[in-house]
Amino acid sequence: MTIIVAFCVATIFGTGLYMILGRELKGIAMGLFLLAHAANLSIIAMSGSPITADGIKAPPVIGHDVAPADALASTVDPLPQALILTAIVIGFGVMGFLLSLIVVTGRTSHTLNIAELARHERQSPFPEPEEGKPRVNAHEHE
Amino acid sequence: MTDPLNNLVILLCAIPLAAGLLSIPFTRRPLVARTIGLVSFTTNFLLALSLLVLIQPGEDVLVNNLGGWPTAYAINLVFDSLSGLMVTVAGVVALGVYLHSFTSLTPDVERRYFHALMQMLMFGANLCFLTGDLFNLFVAFEIALMASYALICIGATRVQMHQAYKYVVLNLLASTVFVMAAGMTYGIFGTLNIADISRIVHEIQAAGDPMPTGFTALGVLLLFVFGAKGAFFPLWFWLPDTYYTSPIAVTALFSGLLTKIGVYCIMRTFPLVFAVGDGFADWTIWLLAVSAAFTMFYAVLGAVAQSGIRRILSIHIISQIGYMIFAIVVMSSYALAGCALFVVHNMVVKSSLFLCCGIIEQHRGTDHLDHLGGLLRKHTYVAVLFFIAAMSLVGLPPLSGFFGKLVIIHAGWEDWWWLAVFALLTSPLTLLSMLKIWSYGFWNPEVRAMPGHVAPTAAKLRPAYIGTSLLVAVALCLGLGAQPVFRVAQTAGRQLDDPTAYITAVLGPTRPDLIITPPPDAGVVDVAATDEHHHE
Repeated sequence: MTIIVAFCVATIFGTGLYMILGRELKGIAMGLFLLAHAANLSIIAMSGSPITADGIKAPPVIGHDVAPADALASTVDPLPQALILTAIVIGFGVMGFLLSLIVVTGRTSHTLNIAELARHERQSPFPEPEEGKPRVNAHEHE
Repeated sequence: MTDPLNNLVILLCAIPLAAGLLSIPFTRRPLVARTIGLVSFTTNFLLALSLLVLIQPGEDVLVNNLGGWPTAYAINLVFDSLSGLMVTVAGVVALGVYLHSFTSLTPDVERRYFHALMQMLMFGANLCFLTGDLFNLFVAFEIALMASYALICIGATRVQMHQAYKYVVLNLLASTVFVMAAGMTYGIFGTLNIADISRIVHEIQAAGDPMPTGFTALGVLLLFVFGAKGAFFPLWFWLPDTYYTSPIAVTALFSGLLTKIGVYCIMRTFPLVFAVGDGFADWTIWLLAVSAAFTMFYAVLGAVAQSGIRRILSIHIISQIGYMIFAIVVMSSYALAGCALFVVHNMVVKSSLFLCCGIIEQHRGTDHLDHLGGLLRKHTYVAVLFFIAAMSLVGLPPLSGFFGKLVIIHAGWEDWWWLAVFALLTSPLTLLSMLKIWSYGFWNPEVRAMPGHVAPTAAKLRPAYIGTSLLVAVALCLGLGAQPVFRVAQTAGRQLDDPTAYITAVLGPTRPDLIITPPPDAGVVDVAATDEHHHE
């Protein structure tokens, strides 16, 4: 069981890393989503195999035919699942932010390609007199 | 260690959180929002300072088990000398920066939940410093980061939008690895409480057994996470591009708080847990040492090459981080005390330099050195503030930077002399880059003002001057009154080097089976004696 999950983690992580190394911001975001899934899966794998000699462990619900004294012997460990739940919730918020950031970036610079963004940066002086930062940083950013 | 004091620790997190939520309805009434923010930051700072002073005589460790759960099951907040020092200084930095922001923010930016985000950043940072639980540390990181993501994009100018994704993507990657590392820690040790893990690790070491499989890998994973947040050598690339784009108050707060959180987390977790055992000493430490050398030296070269004040200062942040990594590499109680002292100094001085830059921008409309000049004659007070802060950064003897560097280099001279040489070489280059700002900006003949720039009124500039003066005064106090601060730092270093006090305080005297026996030489340690007290 653990080895299967481990292979899943490796595959997802590899795919995610590959996508992060691309040049399209949307692809990078998708890669990051995948990495988060891989991380959550790896926590599941770390919490131990649910399959024992006596069969499959019960879900960690108190009062589910389990004496609390030896709860861990017959049920799976609930704490990793709580960790994953927290991580998913936080990840959800951050992903929402990242996607909206990408939308705004696309609107202001009309491209989502990182190479294009970098070229914009080198060529155009930054037109923002209201920030008090004149065309200083354009030519020095190589 | 009385109960009320332990319970007060939660206020350090609760006050910024409450103030942040409270200021959300007042986004269109800046005066109310500012008052709420000021009250919150001031109480936060004063509370942290008084707690820090109160725990000093007995070298106490305040522990608050949230929700009254039993020890080692509860998520706990730990206020010891190290975290207390960090929270206090972070509090005063935030206060100074917040005052300055009244001048430098445009109303448009201020309306976009600036006040709430500042409070949330403070909440996250304080929780990072105080928490004694590895997964809670991840949550605290995320709170601080989420606020910082929003702050780094606040105003949404084009240059910010161009750069922000680097910051967000890198931190997301680091957070993902952090979740994995936390999960693996639980898988290996069955607990996430840092004190409990420390106890287990020390027991394994005392029994002479090998560390669990994957222990070193876990250390390296966390090193990557904290290194990415702290801008260590190969992972620093996001910082110079992103920090200079935000409004100056935001940049100043980031420079004071965020990278230092990464350093603090290494100081907290590595001496207690991950540096125990042979794996760390064998090769992880070399990774860190090389990173320290590159961080110090490369970054300062980068700083000398820049020609905007913001960019010079941004790249300087990285260079100063190198000194802290150096101290972590040495990892004796003396070096860790030096590290704490240096972090404290750096938080204050770096932020005050950025705030000076903010005042210059207000006066002249630009931070580019080619368009500046004559500031010394025309704005003498800014020049004085900048000079004190810059010389503190360089480390001129009566000022604060000197003492931190002295202790770190002194501690590392025996075993890591080549790193000490790099540290000494970095100092003149730091001086050079500061002199570059000084001679171009302050000494050069005055140049024509930027077209379209309107000089601000004196009343508008007053908060900026008050905030910057506050931080520079604190920097001066840290230099002239280095002795008491260093005493606190020494306590911190001692508690990190010998975690018995920390473990006992967290796991409690009620469970003697959980307490490791102290090593025989863990008595009162003075400066000369600690010098030979290196980890192997």
